[in-house]
Amino acid sequence: MGALWLILPGLTLICAGFAAPLALLARQSLDVFVPGRIGAVEGMGLTGENYRQLLTPAFLGLVWQTLWLGIATATVATAIAMPMAWAIVRRLSPRLRSLMLGLTFALVFLSVLVKIYAISMTFGAVGPFRPVLLALGINPNGRGYIEFVVAAGLVHAALPVAVLSLVGAVQNLDPRLLDAAGCLGAPRWRVHLDITLPMVRPALVSAWLIALTYAISAFVIPLVLGRGRVNFVSNMIYTRFSEIANYPSGAAISVVMLALSLITILLVARAAR
Amino acid sequence: MSIGSNTVMRGAWQDRLAGGLIWALLGVTLVFLLLPLVVAVVMSLDSRPFLGQLPPPSLSLQWYAKVFTSDYIGPSFATSLVVALVAVALNATAGTAAAVAITSGRLPGSRLLAQLFLSPLVVPAVVIGFGLLLVLARLGITSGIGRLMLGHIVITLPYAIRACMASLVGQDRRLTEAAAILGANEWQAFRSVTLPLIRTGIITGAIFTLAISLDDVAVSMFLVDRQNITLPVALVTHMRAAFDLTIAAIAVMAMVFTAFVVLILDVTLGIDRVIGQGLYRSEKENS
Amino acid sequence: MSEDLTRRSLLASAGVAGLLTAMPLGRAFAQSGPVPLVAVEWGGEIVDAMKQIAARQADATFDWVLHQGGAAAILPQIKAAWPEVAYDYVAGWEGSFNSMIAEDWLETIDPADVPNLADLPQNILLRDAAGNIKAVPRAVGGMYFGYRSDISPVSVASVDDLFSPDLRGQICWPGPTQSMMLQIVALALHAGGSEKDMDPGWKLMADLAKSGNIGRVAGTDVDFTNSLTSGETSVGFFAEPGWAAVAAHFPVSRLTKSAAMKTFMYQSGFGVMKNRPNKAAVLKFIDFAISPEMSALYADVAGEAPLNIRTKAPEKLAHLAYGPGEFEQFVYVPDYGVVLAEQDNWARRWEEEIAPLL
Repeated sequence: MGALWLILPGLTLICAGFAAPLALLARQSLDVFVPGRIGAVEGMGLTGENYRQLLTPAFLGLVWQTLWLGIATATVATAIAMPMAWAIVRRLSPRLRSLMLGLTFALVFLSVLVKIYAISMTFGAVGPFRPVLLALGINPNGRGYIEFVVAAGLVHAALPVAVLSLVGAVQNLDPRLLDAAGCLGAPRWRVHLDITLPMVRPALVSAWLIALTYAISAFVIPLVLGRGRVNFVSNMIYTRFSEIANYPSGAAISVVMLALSLITILLVARAAR
Repeated sequence: MSIGSNTVMRGAWQDRLAGGLIWALLGVTLVFLLLPLVVAVVMSLDSRPFLGQLPPPSLSLQWYAKVFTSDYIGPSFATSLVVALVAVALNATAGTAAAVAITSGRLPGSRLLAQLFLSPLVVPAVVIGFGLLLVLARLGITSGIGRLMLGHIVITLPYAIRACMASLVGQDRRLTEAAAILGANEWQAFRSVTLPLIRTGIITGAIFTLAISLDDVAVSMFLVDRQNITLPVALVTHMRAAFDLTIAAIAVMAMVFTAFVVLILDVTLGIDRVIGQGLYRSEKENS
Repeated sequence: MSEDLTRRSLLASAGVAGLLTAMPLGRAFAQSGPVPLVAVEWGGEIVDAMKQIAARQADATFDWVLHQGGAAAILPQIKAAWPEVAYDYVAGWEGSFNSMIAEDWLETIDPADVPNLADLPQNILLRDAAGNIKAVPRAVGGMYFGYRSDISPVSVASVDDLFSPDLRGQICWPGPTQSMMLQIVALALHAGGSEKDMDPGWKLMADLAKSGNIGRVAGTDVDFTNSLTSGETSVGFFAEPGWAAVAAHFPVSRLTKSAAMKTFMYQSGFGVMKNRPNKAAVLKFIDFAISPEMSALYADVAGEAPLNIRTKAPEKLAHLAYGPGEFEQFVYVPDYGVVLAEQDNWARRWEEEIAPLL
């Protein structure tokens, strides 16, 4: 009974602030939209039209782009965060370790907005890398490069979070196990592959999932770095809600997006078990 | 040691290569992480009233002056702070309680409950913000500050709960049971066994809550009203409405402030201790 | 609309400036307490202009709320809170006002309450189906092609030039929520179509997207000005305030007198919200704001041409001043009824046919 009371306040908050809005949106996704009006028109019955309209190559392409860039981001961020967390915990002097942890903290705290604008300047078409890009034959206004910049923005935001969440896992590894393996003659990289990685696998999967969910629901990053050309599903939802005031369609996209993320996460969780 | 020394030698060059590659990767990463901050500093000193090529031809403190003279930054920062602190307080209590309940193993369907609590993470913030706006409008709640508080709790609670659960999952439940056998009541067992273990989780959760709440745009932009605008929404509004680098000046001030806080934490508590030493200390100290 | 514009002769005159520097009236003259009003405005020069106008009267004080992105972005906020309304007036243009009229959010304007309305061209006033006046226009602006003459690799003179291989990534194109997609109507005109026959326009649009020449799709005015001032792009189609912001710092060629790339005109103005307590004070302020002197101030600061027939346009708007016969030649006035009705379809077409190609 005690546990029930403990969970009640949190449950109330999540139901009022999360479940109810989603339920209302799910209901709205079946409403009728009349172009030129704002939101759904009352009393016109239910329709599946808002979902049917999503069956286009354009929307599927957008979903694919969101997922693809999200997965790439999460993988790169986790792959870099793991050795970083390791180095911070095991390799640095206490002084440097504090410095690096402080830096990671500071990066988590630093406004994403600020980072994004700075990144758009740093890697933008007019930033310090322009001559390098031109020398390499890369068009700084080309789509491929814009996708790269969006991914860079996502990695920049997701990496410090991933490092912090892996630091704890690395701290809880017993170094004596690794030392023992080292004494038995295995080279360090083998020790890491065979012992360290399996031991931190739950933490890795969780860090990867954090980065993935962060990336695929990103809004401000593609808004600023995508230059209007590389958009995520969030941006399309925002356009529906805010700029063309087609709530039913925005709601339908939200429901589809939610279903997709849940499926992705369940699949990953299953595969990682 | 003498038995293994040959094989250790054999793996040494591979180790050196892998190690070198990894250090190089970390170096590049560090530059990648820090370069935009340097650019932000440069931007904040730009004297031009438009976005131009870097570096700026001359420097000025105009954007810093604007931080203090503009009429929207002070009030919106106050709103942001209030909303963030309320979220931290509620997450640390209701969130921690929920995490304890879920991991206690005494609740039916705790897996499902955990999923429910974490699910706001997978819903684009835009959706949560708009859905909340619609629901609260139907309930007749139009107070911006109330809407913001609920919205920010919803988007930060999963982080707080996950951080707590992560530190609790590692805990050995036998410890709590042992405490119970020794006659501690539930509260005492919680205080003397569970709380120290999840302290890292609560602090990590609070840090994430603060960071996310103080930075949110996607949810807040639907929930603000005229009297209650959060700082990021105010900044985005101004940046979308007219050219404005005040954000870069605020960023630099935030960086300095953050560095200061981290420094104080390190001097007084030791940053290691704040985020928890973990079960094992670093190799350097071990050896 | 064309007739009025030529009649008013937007030609330059320096006479206005003298009026502006006259008497800093300010609030010292207030007799009773001023009425606090909430106004939704565009940022940048436009809100600056309105603040200056507000500072010259003492009957009302203002809380300024800024539009984010297009003028339609505020509509869901109003919808969500309806019938409670937080704003006394909302600045907008044909696009957003027509949606607001459809929702029946706007007060009917009685010309007796706004005497200065008589000095505005009557045939451009926005009306509901019953013929009631629903908004007060304050200025007119143009949306047109142009380029930064210092860095653009091509001196653009016609739509065909936009496809030049030298313009790779150099065009800043307005997004689907900007300027009611008149930019695509412009392409349709070039290909022999119109807002009623858009297929040739969409075909050109798709070709342009495929060409790789579009470097940025601008979602806001600031996206546009930032992209051009930073040199990320050098050619674009945008509304007057955006071009003015670029032209303040860089040489700009504005193609407003080009028969090959026509200019579109829009009116911006005030929509007075229903369900608010201060209707009389709002109308009094709006009347003041469209007076000849304040129209001149607005034109000077905000960079949109005055509509009051007793106000002369400032010199910097000379590129939007059309002599006899020029208007018909260089300006295209679309059927806004069709443009409005098609917005949702066009937005969908953009998403489905154009966005994947960008």
